[in-house]
Amino acid sequence: MNINATKDLLFKMADDALIIGHRNSEWTGIGPMLEEDLAFSSMAQDKIGHALALYKILNEVLGEADPDKLGFMREEKDMKCCHFVEYPIGEYDFSIIRQFLFDHAELIRYEMLAESGFQPLAQLAKKVKGEIKYHVMHADTFVKQLAAGSEEAHARLQNALNNCWHLALGIFEKSELESDLIKDGTFAGEEELQARWLAKVTPLLEAANLKIPATNNDKIALGGRRGYHSEYLKPLLDEMCEVVRTDPAAEW
Amino acid sequence: MYGNTFVTEEEAKRMNATVEDPQKLAEFEDRITSGEKIEPGDWMPQEYRKQLIRMIEQHAHSEIVGALPEGTWITRAPNFRRKLALIAKVQDEVGHGQLLYSAAETLGKTREQMLDDLLNGKSKYSNIFNYPAKTWADIAVIGFLVDGAAIVNQVINSKGSYGPYCRALERICYEESFHLKQGHDNVVYLATGTDKQRAILQDAINRWYRPLLHFFGPPDKASQHSEKLMKWKVKLASNDDMRNQFLDQYVPKILELGLTFPDPNLRKNADGIWEFSDPDWEEFKRVINGDGPCNKERLAVRRYAEEAGRWVRQALMNPTEKYQVPLA
Amino acid sequence: MSSLDPRVNRLDLKRVLEGEVQTNSHLVTYEVFHQDKRGKQAIHVGIVHAPSPELALVFAKEQYSRRGKTANLWVVKTSDVYTFSPADDDMFETTPEKVFRDPAAYKVRDRIEAYQLKNKATN
Repeated sequence: MNINATKDLLFKMADDALIIGHRNSEWTGIGPMLEEDLAFSSMAQDKIGHALALYKILNEVLGEADPDKLGFMREEKDMKCCHFVEYPIGEYDFSIIRQFLFDHAELIRYEMLAESGFQPLAQLAKKVKGEIKYHVMHADTFVKQLAAGSEEAHARLQNALNNCWHLALGIFEKSELESDLIKDGTFAGEEELQARWLAKVTPLLEAANLKIPATNNDKIALGGRRGYHSEYLKPLLDEMCEVVRTDPAAEW
Repeated sequence: MYGNTFVTEEEAKRMNATVEDPQKLAEFEDRITSGEKIEPGDWMPQEYRKQLIRMIEQHAHSEIVGALPEGTWITRAPNFRRKLALIAKVQDEVGHGQLLYSAAETLGKTREQMLDDLLNGKSKYSNIFNYPAKTWADIAVIGFLVDGAAIVNQVINSKGSYGPYCRALERICYEESFHLKQGHDNVVYLATGTDKQRAILQDAINRWYRPLLHFFGPPDKASQHSEKLMKWKVKLASNDDMRNQFLDQYVPKILELGLTFPDPNLRKNADGIWEFSDPDWEEFKRVINGDGPCNKERLAVRRYAEEAGRWVRQALMNPTEKYQVPLA
Repeated sequence: MSSLDPRVNRLDLKRVLEGEVQTNSHLVTYEVFHQDKRGKQAIHVGIVHAPSPELALVFAKEQYSRRGKTANLWVVKTSDVYTFSPADDDMFETTPEKVFRDPAAYKVRDRIEAYQLKNKATN
């Protein structure tokens, strides 16, 4: 097994989960209705929990630093998250479409990883599948009901989809060591994931009468997996680490 | 989290003036005296309904507004454990709001009417949430002491006479015990940490001390009593009794960490009653009437949430379905 | 307005500061029943506001089962639940008196012992 390829996979998954969980936690207390506030908050907690579990594997199995250091003390250039998760929460239309597109990819990714030859990851994948299934159920139900609910809501979702599409395709940016992951049987690869994702989300969006924008390869938000990020990540990290960086040696 | 309800002079007069069917009233009061609960749909005196709605509604508002000062630090919690705990804790406050609005709805006022009254300044929430959470240590102090104070009040109220409110409070108290534990944990880590950590904690305690004394409402001698509310088990303990219980439980837990309160007169007297300096009840009045450090921001954020979420709620509405008051 | 909360500073508060707020939307409510373990009863735990049974379930999960164990949740639209009027609770009043339905009303041990005693005496 190529250890560096596996680490790279774990880092990008963990960073994605941490950053989207962090972003979605911003809705806690100001959601569009109380019940949805609760649901969105739980899912943010789940995502942060997934990040923690992945950093733990990096720490306990692969010899990296402890999870708090990995989550809170790395520099922007070392982060491997995609641009999609870095964007501010915007209005609820953006957040729900992001959840829909991102979580369908997560669900398939973890389904694929349940077959991974790297046991710690396969076990984690089996453990979290129920949580992500709920996240997808939540997103599907909302997208379906909002898109059919009013003209304004439909227009908002369409607009959000237009804004999200090329960001979402950035999820599937391949790492340099991708071929080793496939060869080792650790992960079947981003290309397969993207194909399965597209086959899943396309009919759901069509059923909601939402039009997928034409893909323009030049517009796909790439770079995150190599440490090149959107303008939003640096301020996010500064904010997230504000307290702990006042004294990193202290126990909090 | 919530402080305490109190009655204005005018309300007390009106309450005593309302005439109810004497036989129904006697049956209602017998039920309460014998320890039975009142359930939605039961006959109840108008004032009972009104005061309960007012109290539960204010309690519910306090939960969702209370989510805001703590939310201040959600994106900055210093590690995984604290980050998860804080999000879960603030989430609980929103959940408590949901439970309490539901309880109040059974009395015939819709959630939307209650929220409108909050946003239009017609309905109050607990004063303490008009103070800012300036540093991370404020999160520790809110989690431990403000929630501690709220639990004193909520445990007492859960023995009240209205079934749906009691049920909501039982669930809430169970969840609040997590808040208290994680708040205490946070306080202890800061208190036993570096000099700087201790310093921000002491500063936070100093700033929250007065609002905490205000939390249970004005002293008994200055507030209107309603015999009826006591008899109907809407109000179960006096402001001073609850305040004393709070001080008795929590002052020692701060002192044992070598921390102090900014009041040389804070002490337990020979009768077991806590004494303290006048916490400036004029300030309390000013803040409750809108002139606190954060009143404007709290309402502005709630208004934003209401406004930004409107299209979502409207799109979800099914106009062919008619709202009916929930059962329990 | 500058807030201590960076989240709040990212919201466009100017948009909504003025005027009277009027909310006219009332979603219907669903009664929620929680079953903690297989084999146990589902118990009523509260309500959620929701536009459909699907979303009611999505909401009920995080409001009523975000701690402890859950086997399943049921949601029923409030208007689909029939109940007695609270004023009709007198219909149930005499039920506890119908002791002939209770096992505790059938105690024959004394009688058996008396019979045995009497028999012994006559033998």
